[in-house]
Amino acid sequence: MALTISCPNCGKRNGYEFRYGGEDKGPRPAEEGLTPQSWCDYVHMNNCVAGIQKEWWCHKNGCGAWFTIFRNTLTNLEVEEPEAKL
Amino acid sequence: MFGRFKPLWGKKPQLKSSYDAVIIGGGLHGLATAYFLAKEHGMNNIAILEKRYIGFGGAGRNTAIVRANQRTQENVPLYKEALDLWPILTKELDYNLMFNNCGNLNLMHSEAAMNTARMNVCTAQFHGIKSHLLDAKQLKELEPAINISPDITYPIHGAMFHPPGGVVRHDAVVWGLAKGAARYGVHIHQQTEATAIHTKNGKITGVDTNRGRIHTPRVLVSAGGYSAGMINKMLGIRLPISVLTIQAMVTQPLKPVLNHVVSSGMYHAYANQTLKGEIATGAHMDPWPNYTTLTTAHYIKHQAEALSDFLPFLRGVKFMRTWAGLADMTPDMAPIIDGNDPIDGFYMNCGWGYFGFKSCTATGRYLAKFMAGGQCPDMLKPFTLRRYEKHRLMGETAALVSYSADN
Ligand SMILES: Cc1cc2nc3c(=O)[nH]c(=O)nc-3n(C[C@H](O)[C@H](O)[C@H](O)COP(=O)(O)OP(=O)(O)OC[C@H]3O[C@@H](n4cnc5c(N)ncnc54)[C@H](O)[C@@H]3O)c2cc1C
Ligand SMILES: [Zn+2]
Repeated sequence: MALTISCPNCGKRNGYEFRYGGEDKGPRPAEEGLTPQSWCDYVHMNNCVAGIQKEWWCHKNGCGAWFTIFRNTLTNLEVEEPEAKL
Repeated sequence: MFGRFKPLWGKKPQLKSSYDAVIIGGGLHGLATAYFLAKEHGMNNIAILEKRYIGFGGAGRNTAIVRANQRTQENVPLYKEALDLWPILTKELDYNLMFNNCGNLNLMHSEAAMNTARMNVCTAQFHGIKSHLLDAKQLKELEPAINISPDITYPIHGAMFHPPGGVVRHDAVVWGLAKGAARYGVHIHQQTEATAIHTKNGKITGVDTNRGRIHTPRVLVSAGGYSAGMINKMLGIRLPISVLTIQAMVTQPLKPVLNHVVSSGMYHAYANQTLKGEIATGAHMDPWPNYTTLTTAHYIKHQAEALSDFLPFLRGVKFMRTWAGLADMTPDMAPIIDGNDPIDGFYMNCGWGYFGFKSCTATGRYLAKFMAGGQCPDMLKPFTLRRYEKHRLMGETAALVSYSADN
């Protein structure tokens, strides 16, 4: 599992320097009109994509930055941002 | 495996265009559910769809540990029934499941951990399950191979001892259940992948496979680590699951030296000696979700360091083989078992993480009851998916689990 991750500050580094921070779920839902379901969806639910997903990482043993990357969960390799589907 | 040999469970059946129930996944839970549906509820017009071969998933990759000393009131009774079923099923299936009730030792590395164990022991005893604490000296007497000296990384304060647990031969469970299910008429279709699930007006109507469409009013997704991604892709239902590779390995065979299953949460390692003499050991999950099932030098090194600390006889012993499978983890370390919500006739049983071997028989039996009658048995009610939106997570773990190396 030779994962390398590109930190926006430090460049490409060994994956074990980083902490996985979950699937990217977009912005935190607004307090107003928040239901237990929508909060649960944001906090707990995942897509579990077998393929490319956008996800959060923190450069824990490095500069400490939080950022998102795209990674293929089938190969465990970081990939370029896929073309937006129109 | 698909050569000229006839499988133990009978001839290859014809794929029919309709079944009373379709089970996706020829793993432990799918096979157990099918067996009990046919045996106890007379539902024998059912099919198991398996994209590779039965036992391809966690069923053939787990470290085969069984026990019933979990933490919560909801989990313990289910695991107890599962544990009690091994000798019964061995007879019923007429197949040697090689249940070896050698007992489990959970090492504790601080006084705080001993106190937590005290609570687990009380829960177990309340449910009539044998479990008690040992101090370091008693532990050493029981299992001389353990290093109780204070100069290891995490000195051992004592252990939680659970005499009725142990190991069961995991492949035998797959084959035995397949043989039993087939005897009652269940169709096991290997190399048959479910590719879509069809619904109409909120009801299940059928399943697409790489070999054609099947009409059915009931579908169970029991595809282990593949379930969550599949349920999201096919039905748009998202689950609170993270799928991670989990690795295991065995050493070269040794003379009998380790008499119990020994596990340590602190060292993130557990081990037992198989009947062949190898020390089988499981590691922690990979620090980030992936479906690779690849093994890594990182964990081989980690296991070697951890084990040679608290089981010093392993210093210098070689690992022979390593492998990996998937663990589908929920934030409260308890499975998701649900049905008829939000789709009539749709059932799911997943999120078992690394606990799905020990639980498969009892779960399959209750789930069969659920699928045959449509009513969720009390035993399975706590495992509903809706517990998350009610924020009533189960207390199987003290803190929410988030998947990273330092969780
Ligand atoms: C290394 C390791 C160690 C473990 N140790 C233990 C242990 O000591 N004790 C314990 O209790 N548990 C343990 N487990 C966990 C246990 O193995 C799993 O929880 C259990 O196998 C889950 O059973 P299942 O029937 O749900 O899924 P699986 O056994 O994984 O079976 C799922 C099946 O579904 C099939 N499938 C997937 N997609 C499709 C599709 N589209 N169409 C048709 N079929 C499909 C797969 O090919 C697979 O055969 C361990 C797991 C691993 C990986
Ligand atoms: Zn950085």
